[in-house]
Amino acid sequence: MAGFAIGQEIKKGSTRNSPARKPWGAIVMFLSPVMLYYLIFILYPILATFFYSFHTIEATGGKLVTTFVGLQNFFELFADDIFLISVKNTIIWSIVGPLMEMLVATLLAFIIFFKIPFSNFFRTAWFAPMLVSGVIVGLVFKWIFNFDWGLINVSLRAIGLDDLALNWLGRRDTPLWVVIFVHFWATFGYSFVLLLAGLSTISNELIEAARIDGASEPQISLKILFPMLMPTFITVLILSFMGKMRAFHIVWVLTNGGPMHFSETVATYVQKRAFGWSTLDLGYPSAIAVFWFGVVIVGVSLINRWLKTRVEY
Amino acid sequence: MVLKVATKIISIIIILAILAACAPAATPAPPTAAPKPTDPPKAAAPTSAPTIVPAQPTKAPEPTQAPTKAPEPTKPAAPTAAQKPTDPVASTPIPGKKVVTWWSHWANEPAKVQVIEQIVKDYETANPDVDIILVWWDKNPLRDAIRNTMTAGKGAPDITTFDTEVVEWVKAGWLADLESVLPWENFNPAAKLDGQYAGIKGNYKYNIGAAYNIILYNKEAFQKAGVTVPANFQFTQDEYLDVIKKCKAAGYAGNAQAIGNRPVTAYFAPMWLLFNLTGPAGLEKYWKGESSWDTPEVRQVLNYMVDLTKAGFWPPTLTTMTIDEYHVYFHTQRKSCMLWVPTWYTGRAFKPEKDGGQSPDFKFGMLRYPAMKGSQYNDYVLAGFESGYAVLTQGKVQDIAKDILKFASQPKYGALWVALTNSPTVIKYQAKDMPKVEGAEKWQWYWDEFNKVYGPLKVATPDTTHCGDFEAALVSLVSQGLSQGLVTVDEVIKGMNAKLCKK
Repeated sequence: MAGFAIGQEIKKGSTRNSPARKPWGAIVMFLSPVMLYYLIFILYPILATFFYSFHTIEATGGKLVTTFVGLQNFFELFADDIFLISVKNTIIWSIVGPLMEMLVATLLAFIIFFKIPFSNFFRTAWFAPMLVSGVIVGLVFKWIFNFDWGLINVSLRAIGLDDLALNWLGRRDTPLWVVIFVHFWATFGYSFVLLLAGLSTISNELIEAARIDGASEPQISLKILFPMLMPTFITVLILSFMGKMRAFHIVWVLTNGGPMHFSETVATYVQKRAFGWSTLDLGYPSAIAVFWFGVVIVGVSLINRWLKTRVEY
Repeated sequence: MVLKVATKIISIIIILAILAACAPAATPAPPTAAPKPTDPPKAAAPTSAPTIVPAQPTKAPEPTQAPTKAPEPTKPAAPTAAQKPTDPVASTPIPGKKVVTWWSHWANEPAKVQVIEQIVKDYETANPDVDIILVWWDKNPLRDAIRNTMTAGKGAPDITTFDTEVVEWVKAGWLADLESVLPWENFNPAAKLDGQYAGIKGNYKYNIGAAYNIILYNKEAFQKAGVTVPANFQFTQDEYLDVIKKCKAAGYAGNAQAIGNRPVTAYFAPMWLLFNLTGPAGLEKYWKGESSWDTPEVRQVLNYMVDLTKAGFWPPTLTTMTIDEYHVYFHTQRKSCMLWVPTWYTGRAFKPEKDGGQSPDFKFGMLRYPAMKGSQYNDYVLAGFESGYAVLTQGKVQDIAKDILKFASQPKYGALWVALTNSPTVIKYQAKDMPKVEGAEKWQWYWDEFNKVYGPLKVATPDTTHCGDFEAALVSLVSQGLSQGLVTVDEVIKGMNAKLCKK
């Protein structure tokens, strides 16, 4: 009888939810503020960016002249050595960064999940860098990596490793890796918390059953928890990947993309071309943004497809 | 199924948000009116006023035509009335008054703030119906804000800080023509040339400050390093390299300059040395990005910079030290023998010690540029202009804004600038204009040294404005690359030639 009653409720509900009976007034009222925000601050800039990517804007004769140039801006990208450096740097970062982040964040999430001593403290401590502004992080690490009196070099010199006390931010080979490390330090807590939340949703009964069957903690982790965590893992990995593809603020403060563009990212280069290049042309930087938009979509799709084939339940 | 659709929608929104974050603010700017054509600039007659006198205005074709008149650097003269700090200028509009908004650089230079605030106060007193709102900025954010507000079509101030190299503002018609507004006879002739651009009629910059590019040295450090300054204050190319080596051996960096937040700074030294070697016309040729860098004279300078760098010319904190920090590095920490710096040094250094200024007792010396081998220009000093001001065309009170700059062109404000900032002015003034500034005598030694070392020299102000690609290459290759040993001379030359403004 109870099942019948529930069925009846569902039937009544579905009738009430038909388009003709929907409370459109309330829907519009609740959605319009956010949709308005979305249209003005998200959709319009995006459409404008697409529009300008096919134009050049030149300051001449006392006015700004917008000229349609078709795909010229996009062709020029491939002859722009600074853009190519920034693409190379960003791709390296988008591969290395998420790998590091997922590895460490997953490991730490499992450690906390199994409630090691002081796990509450560690959970807070590992997440804490996420609470610090990226600008502050950049400034602090600029001091830490200072060649003369920075913590790293002072420590290295103190233990007799003077040869390893490098000008971390002023060489060809180290600035990008410093930036990757600092960004990792600042953001891995986010991935860690998401993965921990994912682990918390896994039923305790499964784990208990495995224990009764004689599974060890590593076996439980690898054979039960990790596969069950995979959907969350994919989401976090994609978020991490996208975070690296658009990384800006820490690079901007820490190295400003230098020296000689050795730590330039696509985002910092867009900013420089748009606002710091003795030109008012927003066409070319828009083309960079549109091109990179395509690259991000392709990257996300590939990761998604590749990893989804590995999700098992 | 619903979950899948929702996930896809959320993914798309996130990606779009990323794109929006990456994208430049692509708001179209409404076309603005071209500046009205005016008569060609007329040369103003020089006077004997104690202001900077450029020996070689920007368009000098031949070095041999350089004027020979020695500069008369400004210095505080006998005071007439005590100059007190101005009352703070009101920062909110007063109802019923015509409001003029003025955005200015120099937030961190209190003496300059004081000068501008005095001008504002005097103007408001003379024009009770006008209320001027002053907003203080650092230069780079100010430029971004002007660019954004002008592009967006609203929110821009009426008067803004303006530097000559930001030529795109002029080309876009964002700046009002000041040609017929300013009393040019009050200015040094070079100051007028500074606001003019080839192929564009009009004059777009109000200047108040001049900037000599000078070399300061720490006398105590030189003594410890065993360096003796020549009687003419000028080392030869080889002698100067030896000075750097001695400084390093004594535990000092050669030069305190760094590129932490001003990436251009480390190209000052090669620029000034190239000036010494090639003269005003030569520097103009190379620094405007219109001539190949693959010449013996450029190679000589770049190779010499490599030698200097290896000898210890730059501080170990070159990469990260900010402009404020390297001033302190020189005058308070005293970790370098020298500082290559324009005369805007005083803006940051001659403020109270508690605010990061130097002790008046740190009486440094000054040097002329090292004499490059084969140079014919050892009796020249390179000068330019401080940031100035311009009137933006978006403002609704342009006439008042222009009138304010005209008002600020009075000789007494040139004198006030010198008296308060201890920096040269381009506004001509007489000794009677000089106000008394409490405690000014503590910096008299600075002016004595300045007049002794640079007074007899000819001053040149070559035009070095160039295109964006060339500037980016200068910053990347010369300022960041060469100074940190990241590139070879051949790579610098090849890279610079690839980014020439006119090929």
